[in-house]
Amino acid sequence: MYERSDWAPRIASLTRRVAMCAATLVTCGAFAQTPVEYDFNRDIRPLLSGKCFHCHGPDAAGREADLRLDDRDEAIDYGVIVPGEPDGGELIFRVTTDDPDLRMPPKGDPLTAEQVAKLRAWIRDGAPYEAHWAYQPPKLKTQPAVQDRSWPSSELDYFVLDRLERAGLEPAPKAKPAVLLRRLYLDLIGLPPSVEEVQEFEAEPTPENYEAHIERLLRSKRFGEKWATGWLDLARYADSNGYQHDDLRTMWPYRDWVIEALNNDMPFDQFTIEQLAGDLLLNPTRSQLIATGFNRNVPTNFAGGSKVDEVRANVLHDRVATTGAVWLGLTLECAQCHDHKFDAISQQEYYQFYAYFNKAIPEFAQRGDAMFRKHFIGRDVMVYASEEDRQKGAELELEIEREEKLIAALGESAGPVSEDVGEEVRILDFERPDPFKQHKATRAVTTSLVEESPSGTGRVAARVEAAAVTETKGYFGTGYSFPATDLSDSSELTFWIKTDIASRFSVQVYNGRRIASVYAFSTENLAPNQWTKIVAPVADFVTPKWSPGAVDWKRIQKIQIIAHSSGPYDGKHITLDDFVGVVSSERAKRLKRIAQLRVEIAAMQTPSMAMQDDESPSQAHIMIRGDYTSPGDPVDVGVLGSLHPLDPDLPPNRLGLAKWLVDDANPLTPRVVVNRIWSEVFGRGIVSTPEDFGMQGEAPSHPQLLDWLAVQFVEQDWSMKRLLKVILLSSTYQQSSSASDEKISRDPQNELYSRGPRFRLPAELVRDNLLAVSGLLSDKLGGPVVYPVQPFGVWKEILGADVNRYPTSQGADRYRRGIYTVWRRGNPYPSMVNFDAPERTVCTTKRDRSNSPLQALTLLNDPVYVEMATKLAGEIEGWTGNDREKMTRAFRTVVSRKPEERELEILMDLLKDQGSWFAVTQTLLNLDETITKS
Amino acid sequence: MNNVSPMRGQHNRRDLLRRGTLGIGSLALSQLLSRDLQANTAEPSSPKLHHAPRAKHVIFLHMVGGPSQMDTFDPKPALDKWDGQSLPAELTHGQKFAFITPEARVIKSPYAFKPRGRSGVVMSELFPHLANVADDLTVIRSMKTNEINHASGELFLHSGHGRMGRPTFGAWTSYGLGTENENLPAYVVLKDGLPVAGAPIWGSGFLPSNHQGVEFRGGKTPIHFLRNPERTTVTERRAVVDAIKELNGQAYEHYRDPEIETRISQYELAFRMQTSVPDLVDLSSEPEHILRQYGLSDAQGAGSGLSFARNCLQARRLVEEGVRFVQVFAKGWDHHADIYTALPRSVRNVDKACAALIQDLKQRGMLDDTLVIWGGEFGRTPMVQEHNAGTGELTAPGRDHHKECFSIWMAGGGVKGGLTYGTTDEFGFGIVENPVHVHDFHATCLHLLGIDHELLTHRHQGRDYRLTDVHGHVVHDIFA
Repeated sequence: MYERSDWAPRIASLTRRVAMCAATLVTCGAFAQTPVEYDFNRDIRPLLSGKCFHCHGPDAAGREADLRLDDRDEAIDYGVIVPGEPDGGELIFRVTTDDPDLRMPPKGDPLTAEQVAKLRAWIRDGAPYEAHWAYQPPKLKTQPAVQDRSWPSSELDYFVLDRLERAGLEPAPKAKPAVLLRRLYLDLIGLPPSVEEVQEFEAEPTPENYEAHIERLLRSKRFGEKWATGWLDLARYADSNGYQHDDLRTMWPYRDWVIEALNNDMPFDQFTIEQLAGDLLLNPTRSQLIATGFNRNVPTNFAGGSKVDEVRANVLHDRVATTGAVWLGLTLECAQCHDHKFDAISQQEYYQFYAYFNKAIPEFAQRGDAMFRKHFIGRDVMVYASEEDRQKGAELELEIEREEKLIAALGESAGPVSEDVGEEVRILDFERPDPFKQHKATRAVTTSLVEESPSGTGRVAARVEAAAVTETKGYFGTGYSFPATDLSDSSELTFWIKTDIASRFSVQVYNGRRIASVYAFSTENLAPNQWTKIVAPVADFVTPKWSPGAVDWKRIQKIQIIAHSSGPYDGKHITLDDFVGVVSSERAKRLKRIAQLRVEIAAMQTPSMAMQDDESPSQAHIMIRGDYTSPGDPVDVGVLGSLHPLDPDLPPNRLGLAKWLVDDANPLTPRVVVNRIWSEVFGRGIVSTPEDFGMQGEAPSHPQLLDWLAVQFVEQDWSMKRLLKVILLSSTYQQSSSASDEKISRDPQNELYSRGPRFRLPAELVRDNLLAVSGLLSDKLGGPVVYPVQPFGVWKEILGADVNRYPTSQGADRYRRGIYTVWRRGNPYPSMVNFDAPERTVCTTKRDRSNSPLQALTLLNDPVYVEMATKLAGEIEGWTGNDREKMTRAFRTVVSRKPEERELEILMDLLKDQGSWFAVTQTLLNLDETITKS
Repeated sequence: MNNVSPMRGQHNRRDLLRRGTLGIGSLALSQLLSRDLQANTAEPSSPKLHHAPRAKHVIFLHMVGGPSQMDTFDPKPALDKWDGQSLPAELTHGQKFAFITPEARVIKSPYAFKPRGRSGVVMSELFPHLANVADDLTVIRSMKTNEINHASGELFLHSGHGRMGRPTFGAWTSYGLGTENENLPAYVVLKDGLPVAGAPIWGSGFLPSNHQGVEFRGGKTPIHFLRNPERTTVTERRAVVDAIKELNGQAYEHYRDPEIETRISQYELAFRMQTSVPDLVDLSSEPEHILRQYGLSDAQGAGSGLSFARNCLQARRLVEEGVRFVQVFAKGWDHHADIYTALPRSVRNVDKACAALIQDLKQRGMLDDTLVIWGGEFGRTPMVQEHNAGTGELTAPGRDHHKECFSIWMAGGGVKGGLTYGTTDEFGFGIVENPVHVHDFHATCLHLLGIDHELLTHRHQGRDYRLTDVHGHVVHDIFA
């Protein structure tokens, strides 16, 4: 912890304080004469929050000297602030003194003279506190009066122009039609316009045509592909688990759901509800279940030694933090170990949020002590990988229906196969020597011997004893190994068991070394030490999740019996006899056929994870210091007291939470969402800390504009497309992005929007855009992930993973949009990493935009980009016209606008010198303008 | 810095790397990499040094899997007596183990331990070469971590946090200190296999992405996409880069966007890197005696020991060129089974090269300001593991993961030589004196680099994050 001086020596230092203050009085007075402008929310609160709240804020446990400065009454009661008298309380002295033992803050930079002056002015004015701006509902302010009334074309322009005029800046002229159209295309669909589209627009660049383009692009299927990227960063969507092994998972149906929802302009409130709680809706559709994949995207640690409870706690913490960042713009995770240091979020409230997620079925489980047999549990939605498979699956479903009808026609009851239906009995060949030699008892030393046979056949019986077992836990198993046996015409397996272990048991059949299928039964209600016949219908065997594929009943190589309970097994035994396969009635055969069909269907499908609440969830507790092994008081679900109230009629589950988040009264969510959309268009949010609208976040650059957008958004039924249209129709958006050096120096980050947005495209769009202009882009929408060419051997390094061969895609799948590229957390696609694609290990609210030599190397040398340049060069050669005409068209293909004369000269010289269109296309594909939205 | 280097010719060529040919080349690469104003307004809270540094560079040799402290640097004669018995229950009560149970029996170390050098630093007989540099080592026997699994343990060792998403030690170092050579990354990763947690353990987390470790692979193209496409000549490439430069220059005239200037210089740098980086990693320029010192008969051969030796030599060359932080991963230290066959092999793979690295740095006068660190993400249990955790099959004895104590060593960079710090109990199970938690380790290393670990912060999600979270004490006792 920080070392700090205490506020306690206040009295002792009083004399000195007075003396020192007298000495600085002149300075103080000098400040007093200049009117100091301050705004509580812009200047004072961030100062107090940044410098003081860590020790003197909302966190009671971490509070020093029992002083809090986030609450006016308490600060005044304490005497540290005396309203109206800057030197009446200790505050100003403490932040200005030179005495290192007394100076606040004890670590870090002292306050600047300007900050102190503002603080003094504020105290002199009575030290009025205001609620933090983001916690107050957005209000529609009157449109500011501006001088240049001809410029605004949308209401939002007034807010922008007002700031510009006050700063003495003029807006930039409107962008040239070709530049504007390309910008519009990149913003709406992430792909450039064709040369023809640009030429048409240049011929008639009317507002009507501009708006018509917006309308058309908003309807394009490509819209969702572009806008999903940012959301997938938030949803930490990836195709692998992360951590050890980093195995692949199937979550792309969720990605497709996002694309489709965006294409359909699903209102953001519905978009929220389906993702957070689609499973809790009445009769949820398949699509609504897939939507809940949002919360199954969390990385999961499958390491052999990882503890199920710990991993689950980490997964749930991630869900709380992500919900906070995505919907509230709040850093809830700061309250995991203690009350939030800056915002009014108590640790209790943190765990109330946690409790919503704690109701879900635990994330994953392991079987007994089989630590490498961890697997996901919870709801799966089965998805087909391709349209072909979907059709084939539908045919198989029809066959199942036919079989079921035939069974019904047999006139027998539809109950389970009973043990007296066996007509034809085939004894399995267990007469090989040492049937138990390869048993897989984990630890027990076992012996086997032939015993009396309950059915009197005396064929094979065996006794397994666990002698001298010292383990106190773990599973205990025994089994038969035998040469591959064809059990495909058996409809049941039967055997006799005698044991003194009361447990659930599994019969596991193996293909090779892998468990292929499992049948569970229990001896818990059986009398111990008596022979019992178990009939295991083949149709009731289930393929475990971790099994690589469907069971092959023609080649069963081992049968193993496993007890599930914890030991000790000292002296316990399992005795088995007469393990046989049974070919039985027509009905049983048909049932088996149905089971096989279901297995075939399952083999074509992949489970994609979705949310499901547990019928009897465990009680959530506060975790002391955030440690899952230190449960504190129990907590139930609940929301943040400092925000709008929770409607008591809402269900106490994720659905209630989701509806609370998108309640029209929520001051945060609409602001957070419009800020994110704005930031994707302008490259910077009105609040530049999109993840933090709390006390420590940056204040909005245009608070009224933010509120105006937020109010519009909710009034327009949370429609993201309508919001976008409003933004794109504005004069602010349509400005040229070129600027004078003076303007660049006065508004370096374009925080005032004194020019149009100009910034490098994100990783996926760099790829998409170049694929499009080179003519290689595949327009296939959605479906399983693809594996475009990447440097050889990158996946080979992944130890212990299920897949370490990179299955490079063939054909059109090599040229799909970047959003479809497999996203492996421990080993992401190298060329996208070079363009700042995140690992997606946590919710990412803002990507970096670096500018590095590695990017140059990627575009110049990555075989993927070389192929694009080659393809475009080939196209150009086939065009009609002379070289100069071809060059102009090539230039326009890549950056839309016409080349300037000088630009054309440079390129023509290059063509002449190198004699190769490839050199030209490489040059064009590497231009700053090509990978930039200008 | 190095008058003894017989590679003057190489140096001249490589000096090109340091000198930018454009005016902008004088900017630090880390700045060039992050000129986008939107993304990177946040510079370190205190970009300057907080105090005089003892070290300017770090070479971190991570033995992936977790070496056994009882068999390497922390002799436990009492284990001979306890061999075959369970540890006292009060010791193991409430402890987490990855695969064994608390009752698992103790297994002694078969190795002889001896004091080495004038200082008498004790190490096991497995390290004949390292023994020669014992007087340069500070062995810490009292390291402690929070995690018992590889991925989370690696993440904890490198980022002070057991889950993904935080910046790593090297990233913080790059962020805090920048680079000495604008033509090379500040943070380079060399590995002979992929650590379990993959890229996140050299990631930049929420720091600007230019601070993430850049992987240098083996072979002639250590960086992806370094080589020209087939059939592209150097002349053609030069012409293309020139055309790009001119056209970007035209765009700059129009937009006046500083990003365009940066991009122009990045293309120049990329072009230079295409020759300078392969030169830099080409060990054939090293003289015979240096190669032999590291245990390399030639610059090419394969094999895991050879990869590690090459990475050590490479690390020295990178540091020589001004790279701030070189992270080396050595695979093969996860000895769950058959430890007494596997451990000597793992040590053999690194012993000679580690000693050579220290001697080599020393003879060039570089050891004083280069901090060399050797260690794993955790230690191993005094108790035996005798079954395969996956299949349950019996195995030859090994040791399980252990977080309560483990041994590392450091050399150079302002740490004392010939020191052994911290004491563990008679079993090598827990710490009895001078614990050094991973947070303390980070605080200490940053201190050596001239950084106060409480002041090197980055505002993210409203909080000023540090490598040491809210923990960390500088272990002054090990400073020279």
